[in-house]
Amino acid sequence: MLKIESWDWESKEKMLADTAKWKDKFEDVWEPYISPDGEKIASIVKVGEGEFNIAVNEGTWEEPFEKIWYSRFSPDSRLTALITKDMEWTMAVDGKPWEQMYEYIWDTKFSDDGKVIAATTKLDSVYGITVNEKTLECPVNLESIASYAISSDGKTLAAIAQTLPLGQADLDGFLKGTWSVVVNGKPWKDNFVDIYGLAISNDGKNVAAEYRAAICEYGIVVNGKPWNEKFGCTWEPVFHPNNSNEITTPVRQAGQWFLATNGRIVWDKGFVSLLYQTYSPDGNNIAATVAPQFAKWTVAVNGQPWAATFNECLLQPCFSPDGRKVAVIAKDSGKWLLVVDGTVLGEGYDNIWQPVFSPGGDKVICKVEKNGKYAVAVNGKICGNTYEALWNPVVSPDGTRVMICGVEDGKYYRKVVPLSDI
Amino acid sequence: MKPTIVKRDLVVDTALDQCAAKLTPEQIEKVVNEVIDNETGGRLQTYVNTCIHCGLCAEACQWYLSHDKDVSYAPVTKVKDTIWVLLEKKGKVDGAFIKRCSEIAHTECNVCRRCGMYCPFGIDIAYMMLVVRRICAKLEMVPLYLQDTVHSHAATMNQMWVKPDEWIDTLQWQEEEGQGYVPSARLPLEKEGAEIMYSVIGPEPKFLAQLLGNITVIMKVAGLDWTMPATAGWDNSNMAMYSGDFEIMARVERLHHETAQRLKVKKIVMGECGHAFRGAEYDGPTWMGWMKPPIPIVHAISFYYDLIKSGRIKIAKKAEGPITVQDPCNVVRNAGLGTQLRYIMNAVCEEFVDVTPNGRHNYCCNAGGGVINVGPPWKKKRVQGNRVKAEQMKRTGAHTIVTPCHNCHSGIEDIVDYYKLGMHVKFFSDILIEAMEIPEHLKPKEE
Repeated sequence: MLKIESWDWESKEKMLADTAKWKDKFEDVWEPYISPDGEKIASIVKVGEGEFNIAVNEGTWEEPFEKIWYSRFSPDSRLTALITKDMEWTMAVDGKPWEQMYEYIWDTKFSDDGKVIAATTKLDSVYGITVNEKTLECPVNLESIASYAISSDGKTLAAIAQTLPLGQADLDGFLKGTWSVVVNGKPWKDNFVDIYGLAISNDGKNVAAEYRAAICEYGIVVNGKPWNEKFGCTWEPVFHPNNSNEITTPVRQAGQWFLATNGRIVWDKGFVSLLYQTYSPDGNNIAATVAPQFAKWTVAVNGQPWAATFNECLLQPCFSPDGRKVAVIAKDSGKWLLVVDGTVLGEGYDNIWQPVFSPGGDKVICKVEKNGKYAVAVNGKICGNTYEALWNPVVSPDGTRVMICGVEDGKYYRKVVPLSDI
Repeated sequence: MKPTIVKRDLVVDTALDQCAAKLTPEQIEKVVNEVIDNETGGRLQTYVNTCIHCGLCAEACQWYLSHDKDVSYAPVTKVKDTIWVLLEKKGKVDGAFIKRCSEIAHTECNVCRRCGMYCPFGIDIAYMMLVVRRICAKLEMVPLYLQDTVHSHAATMNQMWVKPDEWIDTLQWQEEEGQGYVPSARLPLEKEGAEIMYSVIGPEPKFLAQLLGNITVIMKVAGLDWTMPATAGWDNSNMAMYSGDFEIMARVERLHHETAQRLKVKKIVMGECGHAFRGAEYDGPTWMGWMKPPIPIVHAISFYYDLIKSGRIKIAKKAEGPITVQDPCNVVRNAGLGTQLRYIMNAVCEEFVDVTPNGRHNYCCNAGGGVINVGPPWKKKRVQGNRVKAEQMKRTGAHTIVTPCHNCHSGIEDIVDYYKLGMHVKFFSDILIEAMEIPEHLKPKEE
């Protein structure tokens, strides 16, 4: 797990970099990223013709590269990026490239503690998942990898992969199944027409996905074994947070969407649409984004929709730590709104990022955008300064403080403020 | 009802033939009634019962006009020979009949909706053809190459079996190409919070990569904050919408819109494609339960209109000689962008020559509606089915036809070739990139 406790929660304000100077120093400066602990800010910068580097706070990486992209900090605040040397690709971590070079590398992912760094790689026209410089061995040559997931502890990596070649316009071959799930390098026994919506249980023991059995026939497959029930359509499954044998997914029957757990419909009410089912932290409640009628969106908690509806869309709901409250970002008549338990909090914004609850559940904190500036909003109301760039606020483990990282007049600040002050 | 006299050259499509051989009457009856009972509602019944069989729709159809008014190509005949029979017989038909339904609905109708404009009651005949396609799709009676394209959508979330690494690699290559025009141009990948997500259709990275280079330059010159995804969800096209596989259609559209939501952009600007606009703006959102796209979508025509009208892009040298245009049905007839299209054509062309009929009344290119995607076996029939388009284009005397739609582009190229028109076919961005002013500070430095 991420050791948030060890971060600096005492320093009220640190100015860690003057990014405005980067623009004078380098030919081009890309959009910045910050480390999870807020201590570092980094941007890919162009230093010459066909030469790129990364500026990190007041310095740069030692060695420039021909190309750099997808710079991302790991949870333990190491800076990774995908780079080329002599027209071959690899991962660089804090400026040091992996020894193995690839035809291509993409989609960096991390374990929760950042110890595991993974990516999809292609070498000698064979695709694989590479973990900390080592490509997972697979008994078959993978023709393609559509996507992959990594467990919290980084020990389970599951990929949606094409395990068989397919000729041009080979409809029969396609319907026989060319796609499977490869878990830590081992493909499931059976192939499927298509695989979507990969999920790994919190304990890393089980892997589930949607599969397509025929043109209009879908189901859920767990560790390679399909549910007995099939549906007209499904969306991505989700594991119960504490019970890796319980899987919940939206399913479509007779033109309506229902929520099903382990193949059995558990919400008796059907919806025009049902998405983003989310368990409460203890797993006792489920919230989902639903449309009881066309273009009337709301949240249903344990099958009961809120009275308030919104006319454009809703994003994924989130529970308070005690599982009693639900917050969601809604869009109505062109404005984004923060909604908690069916009530709009504050005003509408041009954009709202995923909210977080305070540990007590009484405050909902999020990043918002208004008129091209960014700010932190608490219960829907802007608190404090506006920024030209801002990252999602982080609440301290004891719930007393909030870390706010943003750029003002080109200067990058890491601030810690008492939650009671905002 | 008298049977229609149908004269057609034999076209072999192995997918249709094999499907016709294996379908059972029970399967057909079940699917036909499932679709009609559960998916059509009052709309289909209203259309069927309102039609007075007047045949005025015939004059609207390029297939009918191009075959010397052969009534077997008239929209009303297409309805009569498909959905009327399915309703009357309550689905008790055989595999050969369903095969003929697919031939009519998938290969002889572009669902362009011109006929609906000629119908005195405004009946959306194209909708009825889409119901027929839906029935065919659920029975797996879909022409080979169209079904293969849909399988590509299903497996890769793009139309052309483009693998994730090929997509990103192509963008990085085209960024370099764009830098040949404007050294500081950048194609920003995965830039969260950008103003615009730019999306394209599968053929762009596969065959027409220069269009990605073009947009890299245009965005830089216009000074816009934009991004493109490095994940699936970049393809805005949707042939599943046209085969009748609405579940895959919805999955593709959902991912496209959710990708824009993930990147927290204000709007999606899409490249020059008509059907993709229809899928992303209307059909996909409607199936998902959205009144409109959750992130607004702007078609390339409107995008370029705004850039030129606002002066963000200035024209330095207009394209010479007579140049004409094709109106993509899904953005002109069905979304009203004809006036904006003519504004941008006049802005970049020294001598813009309009077509007759034009705008909302223009003929379909005959490639749209998934018809070009039924592939090589049907190409000759498709091109012969649009002689009127060739005649229309020839009358303009233009040396170049601008087609702000991928289906129109490929379909009109085929027409130009078959009828030996000797004309060039270009996308609007191909003309714009040559005509636009590149400010001095953005130009490559002299060696």
